[in-house]
Amino acid sequence: MAALPEELAALIPAYLGGQRWYSGAEAPDPSLVNIDELKELWVADDGTRRLWQAIVSAGPDWYQLLLGERPAGQRAEFLHGRDEAVLGAAANAYFYDATLDSEMAKVLLRVASGGGETATFARQLTAEQSNTSLVYDDRLILKVFRRLHEGRNPDVEVTTALVGAGFEHVATPLISWRDERFDLAFGQEFLAGGTEGWALAVTSLRDLYGSESRSPEEAGGDFAAEAERLGRVTAEMHLALQSVFGSAPAAEAASSWSRLLDGFGPRLEAASAVAGKSLWPDCSLLVDRFGRVREPGAYFRVHGDFHLGQVMRTDNGWRVLDFEGEPARPLHERTAPCSPLKDVSAMLRSFHYAARHVLAEHRVAEWESLLPLAAAWEAHNRRAFMDGYEDVAGIQVLLPERGSVSAVVAAYELDKALYELEYEQAHRPEWVPIPLDALDRIIYGAGSDE
Amino acid sequence: MVSPFFAPQPRWYQTAVFYEILVRGFYDGNGDGTGDLAGITAKLDYLQWLGVDCLWLLPFYQSPLRDGGYDISDFWTILPEYGDLADAVELVEESHKRGIRVIADLVMNHTSDQHPWFLESQSDRTNPKADWYVWNDGDAAYSDARVIFVDTEKSNWTFDSQRGQYYWHRFFSHQPDLNYDNPEVADTMIDVCRYWLDVGLDGFRLDAVPYLFEREGTNCENLAETHEYLRRLRKEVDALYPGRVLLAEANQWPEDVVEYFGKGDECHMCFHFPVMPRMFMAVRREQRYPITEILGRTPEIPDGCQWGIFLRNHDELTLEMVTDEERDYMWEEYAKDPRMKRNIGIGRRLAPLVDNDRRVAELLHALLFSFPGSPVLYYGDEIGMGDNIYLGDRDGVRTPMQWSPDRNAGFSRADFAQLYLPPLMDPVYGYQAVNVEAGVRDPSSLVHWMKRMLEVRRQHPVFGTGTFEVISVENPSVLAYMRSLPERATQEDRGPDTVLCVCNLSRLAQPAELPLQRWEGKVPIELLGRVPFPRIGELPYFVTLAPYGFYWFEIVDPPGSRQ
Repeated sequence: MAALPEELAALIPAYLGGQRWYSGAEAPDPSLVNIDELKELWVADDGTRRLWQAIVSAGPDWYQLLLGERPAGQRAEFLHGRDEAVLGAAANAYFYDATLDSEMAKVLLRVASGGGETATFARQLTAEQSNTSLVYDDRLILKVFRRLHEGRNPDVEVTTALVGAGFEHVATPLISWRDERFDLAFGQEFLAGGTEGWALAVTSLRDLYGSESRSPEEAGGDFAAEAERLGRVTAEMHLALQSVFGSAPAAEAASSWSRLLDGFGPRLEAASAVAGKSLWPDCSLLVDRFGRVREPGAYFRVHGDFHLGQVMRTDNGWRVLDFEGEPARPLHERTAPCSPLKDVSAMLRSFHYAARHVLAEHRVAEWESLLPLAAAWEAHNRRAFMDGYEDVAGIQVLLPERGSVSAVVAAYELDKALYELEYEQAHRPEWVPIPLDALDRIIYGAGSDE
Repeated sequence: MVSPFFAPQPRWYQTAVFYEILVRGFYDGNGDGTGDLAGITAKLDYLQWLGVDCLWLLPFYQSPLRDGGYDISDFWTILPEYGDLADAVELVEESHKRGIRVIADLVMNHTSDQHPWFLESQSDRTNPKADWYVWNDGDAAYSDARVIFVDTEKSNWTFDSQRGQYYWHRFFSHQPDLNYDNPEVADTMIDVCRYWLDVGLDGFRLDAVPYLFEREGTNCENLAETHEYLRRLRKEVDALYPGRVLLAEANQWPEDVVEYFGKGDECHMCFHFPVMPRMFMAVRREQRYPITEILGRTPEIPDGCQWGIFLRNHDELTLEMVTDEERDYMWEEYAKDPRMKRNIGIGRRLAPLVDNDRRVAELLHALLFSFPGSPVLYYGDEIGMGDNIYLGDRDGVRTPMQWSPDRNAGFSRADFAQLYLPPLMDPVYGYQAVNVEAGVRDPSSLVHWMKRMLEVRRQHPVFGTGTFEVISVENPSVLAYMRSLPERATQEDRGPDTVLCVCNLSRLAQPAELPLQRWEGKVPIELLGRVPFPRIGELPYFVTLAPYGFYWFEIVDPPGSRQ
């Protein structure tokens, strides 16, 4: 087995701690870090440059390191001053994150595709949490999994299955790179010219807030037609997911639903405490409303982390990305059957976030006049999304009976908003008003069935 | 008459800029209140100054003018108000002297009901022209063909009491369709084309080509027989009139229109209709998808062919090619006044369509001039003329060209009451505010900007024949695309011609990061000002765009690297 110089192995714990995709808050205890596997993926003909792959365990987690090796003194412009990407120097060479080096990235493509794919240009996409994405010739995107899980990676598994089921609104899978234990990377068609749903929604909102028009239908950048199409695609995705993975038994769905309801009491209490005041003294209407749902509809494998940032508008309509589920949750939870309305609710929450996010670009003094616009935009696009969703043939069979849909949606919105409150409290306190606003609305709107 | 004024350049239309002229509305050369051919000749110096390459004349044939001259009552004669054959010859010759070509509208599908052919055909069932039109005892045949002018026509059949039969018409009932199944008709129409090409015209814009033939059980559009006839016409043109152009009007989706290029053996050019409303929609929605969608579904065209693209023309803003949902959207946006609706469209000129926003007008022209195809300008749009929605039918966009602040907009010396239509006199678009004289004197006017753009465009054949590739930008309000031509084949420079266009469709300033790795090391030079921008590096290329702003960058090797 090839080996890295001793002194480098010692640097790995600190290096891990500096990476975006490392899940812990601080660098792992060196005693818990172990190089499980080390492979020399490539060596240049002249022997001076190498590409290494290391599978490293750090406590219960595994990580994939891709390290480039170049002779000391060779310039490293591709690092663009990103010191945290450098592991260190040893034996007259330096070692660094190979995904930043376009030569190494191209080598990686060849290796990952078993020689089937090559490219002239490679670039790394920025701002990602648990993976590194490389784009080749604006044609192919390779998602390198950094944090590894034993078994199938849900994104690879679900995307491939959806394509098999004839669902066209995903990026076509091209490369699946794995070893005996882990999915290591996933290559798909790069959606050139695509825009995240979030960016489109934000464009629409900026237009509305900046225009003289007082209604979202009349503003130029109306998003409703997109929202409607997105609703359709969401329903088609659910039909395909259900056909591939099948529904959980009704009893399992019922118990999952009641677990959700049972959790609300204590969670709301905790949320009231977080908000620092006595909130929502009476949730009985809400409990009544949820209690009236006799059966919550089919439960099956869903997207699990559905929001405007996970959908891309392309020239040929919407594409759904990233079926990994919420990365913070354990794998078995992410793949557990759930109501498709959980995805629906999550997207509706995303509309709310977008409307409020753009508000933050304006001075607080303007909020009073803009808040009704934000609410109108959200309501308008919620309606369009739901219309598109419920209009797809066959989706009704998977949903609860007609009168209960909005209650189940509200329950999952409540679930999501409570999660958001907790998250924002911990990470972005200035955003706390957004979930609080949502909670207010869900709880006080409980008496009406929209 | 072969023109001596052009070097042989058979594919001139691929890089040409067309200028559409309503003969009656351009300039009145004889003071009778109606524009004429001599009037156009008198204004050729202006058109040469502006820098257009080819004039497209709306129909100038003898006609009762119930449909703007598209109801021809004699194919061999010029409408006397417009002049005579000598005027036409002079116009063509004078244009050619200035390096400008001339094409004219020709209606192949139908005639006026006043045409002697029809008068004869309708007189009884046995006359020599009895079979020149499509007659039937009933009105049930070809029931799968849609009615195009739904506002005025109930059926494609109209009963003629004289002959006691129904005749077929795809447009107005006063425009009976010719019967191309009759070889005499088919031959005679070829003779008509030859006659006008002999006069010196550089080609035709063929009106309503999809409807020449009828067959039961079809929608009577785009039939194989129609294509076969076009191939016959093209063969004739290639053999006897090389370098002349056939431009088809077929208001269909691009994947259907492309059939009119045949294998490069039918029409040289076809209009690309759907891209036009989508340019307006993209600006209104502040996102590029309406445009990239339609360009994405536009098929490749055969070698030697070209699209004709336009922002506005003499007809309505064509909405047949957008989906119902999008049509509702366009209507709401641009036609809040119901009088503005015309058939399935909106009768507005460019400037009022964009609320007279100069930035939007410039942006839309920048798109038009840099999209794949040959741009067609509509007379008056280059100075920002308005429209008169209170005029009937489609006359609102056919008011006299505004030449100066003088009487009758400098269009005619006739008495005001004698004018075919009153010129615009409103405070915003009226001729005292908007006219050629003022525009030409004012170096920062729209018309000067237009002239400059056309100059730049002429230096870059890539705009006509280069490939088109959308550059991926995250910001949905930004549309970026690369036009490239491996070899520009001009006298002075044979190197590659590569132009990057970046457009901001939003009324807010926008940033854009362009993945330009493939051009790493090259230098973008802004084409209007020739200012070199920073070298393209490995990282995404960052540009900021003013509201409705755009850049055209020539992509060149850095100085000193070229040997």
